[in-house]
Amino acid sequence: MSGIIEVEGLSFGYTPQSTVLKDISFKVMPGTFLAIAGPNGAGKSTLLNLLCGMLSPRSGTIRVDAAPVESYSTEALAKKVAVVRQEFVPVFAFSVIDTVMMARTLYYGPMGFESKLDREIVAEALEATDTARFALRSLASLSAGERQLVFIARALAQNTSILLLDEPTSFLDLKHQVGIYDLLKAAQLQKGKTIVAVTHDINLAAQYCDATLLIGADSSYQYGYAKDVFSVEQIKKVFGVKVFMGKIGQEKFFIPLGKFAKDGGQAATPLES
Amino acid sequence: MKGQLTARKLVVRAAAGFAVLVVVMAVCLLMGTERVSLKAVVDGIRPGVAVNPDYEIFVKVRLPRIFLAAIVGAALACSGVVCQALLRNPLADPYILGISSGAGLGAIIAVISGLNRTFVGQSPIAVFAFVGALGTVWLVWFLGRLTGKFHVTGLLLAGVVVNTFFSALIMFLTLVAKSQQVYATIFWLMGNMVEEDIIVLWIGAGCVIGGIVALFYIAPQLNALSFGENDARSMGVNIARTQIIAFGVAAFITAIAVSLSGLVGFVGLVVPHGVRIVFGPDHRQLLPLSGIIGAIFLVVADTFARIVVAPAQLPVGVVTAIVGGPFFLVLLIKYGRKVSWLK
Repeated sequence: MSGIIEVEGLSFGYTPQSTVLKDISFKVMPGTFLAIAGPNGAGKSTLLNLLCGMLSPRSGTIRVDAAPVESYSTEALAKKVAVVRQEFVPVFAFSVIDTVMMARTLYYGPMGFESKLDREIVAEALEATDTARFALRSLASLSAGERQLVFIARALAQNTSILLLDEPTSFLDLKHQVGIYDLLKAAQLQKGKTIVAVTHDINLAAQYCDATLLIGADSSYQYGYAKDVFSVEQIKKVFGVKVFMGKIGQEKFFIPLGKFAKDGGQAATPLES
Repeated sequence: MKGQLTARKLVVRAAAGFAVLVVVMAVCLLMGTERVSLKAVVDGIRPGVAVNPDYEIFVKVRLPRIFLAAIVGAALACSGVVCQALLRNPLADPYILGISSGAGLGAIIAVISGLNRTFVGQSPIAVFAFVGALGTVWLVWFLGRLTGKFHVTGLLLAGVVVNTFFSALIMFLTLVAKSQQVYATIFWLMGNMVEEDIIVLWIGAGCVIGGIVALFYIAPQLNALSFGENDARSMGVNIARTQIIAFGVAAFITAIAVSLSGLVGFVGLVVPHGVRIVFGPDHRQLLPLSGIIGAIFLVVADTFARIVVAPAQLPVGVVTAIVGGPFFLVLLIKYGRKVSWLK
């Protein structure tokens, strides 16, 4: 079976001397949820930018829907792939609904206005992300978590089969982290979207994702089912941190153990006993 | 949803704005140091009647001047909108990429060289200013590209450097020029409405209106670009095409405005912000309304310039600065909470 995204022998570096990604190959099946995990600087966001055609590979190929990504025009690619980047708040105060409506720019009529269908799609995206209640507020007046929901709503309104996200939950509290992954999972299961999310939160990745690409800072990588890729040894190797792995039912979770972990015997006692 | 811009709302607002513009122009036509009798003007239109001064003042002096103010105001306001959108900087105005200094340099070279041939009914000052303005924008664009693929910061810095360098050249040329020439240059630099040939006005108006229509056509793309180039590209916006059209058209209509009237300041900064604060940042609405309100603003400012110190006349650039500054402050204080960059 052919994947909706196919990467073969992909290498990339920002300068001729440096190599960020080396000979990476993987396939993303339609309707699956892939997490790209790894430490800072391993090239996760770089890989995402390669997948959406912002960067060109040094060697190797990336195919989206069976065609090389560089063969798409900007317009054609935007009909297949939507991207949520780390948030960018514009200087001018656009409202939530205006922001989400921009996803339909490609489909505007000759006068530059949206159709009834565009409005329905946007209303649905606002509903799905629970952002309809502040649709008329300015982006700048929202919290970071609410703003991230708006950007996800915008990506959903683009109505693409592929959704790429760059660290969608960094800077968010627990409730919003879980809320956003629930939302993405729902889009995958109910709408059949293919989702690729860059994250360094291995617990959320282990819980929500079907497949995982774990990239190390030394350009090594491992690709497979999330349940196989995440293990104490792998995480120690890739992140350089000792972890404790626990299980609740079928869910694995990992807790990092630092130098001063209490069982190591170095912790002070802050309260008098 | 309520509160959202629709095509119908936009047409109604633009039509209302246009009606106000026509009324303002009509009222300003009747104002001036000379009392003009409308009856005499109507008489003057009839063929075969002896020339009467009322008709002359009304049709040959005031009408072209008010028409010119409207064109220049609309061009500067729309150009300001585009510069602020592309540079994602609320302090940007039509002159930020060196148009003012380039035009100024062209003008002073024309004055010093003592050329007095006219081109297409235009004085050498206007022609040199036009060429200088467009040449400088091209230079800044080229320098900005050298600093990287297309970086807003590189472009802004190139604009600042070129502006500073050309200003130094202007100062140097002012020193070596004769005092008579210096006066002509300074008067031009302040921004001034003079009575232009009706043909020149028609050409200018055609170019400016065509430019504004072209900009309206890319307004949805400008909206998306407000979120940065990466986001806009992901939403299917052709960045290079949008930027080239936007900068090219904005530079062209600004160069026309500058060559017709010198450096009228403040319009390109105050009007877009005023419209944005009241009507929101959507460029589909911002562009046409800014054009109309820019025209109204400059027509009124120029009428003040004509009559405040009559029989002498102020350069309109002085009026726009004096009126525009406090007006802008009032807007900021009243609506400031709506504007995100103030936080």
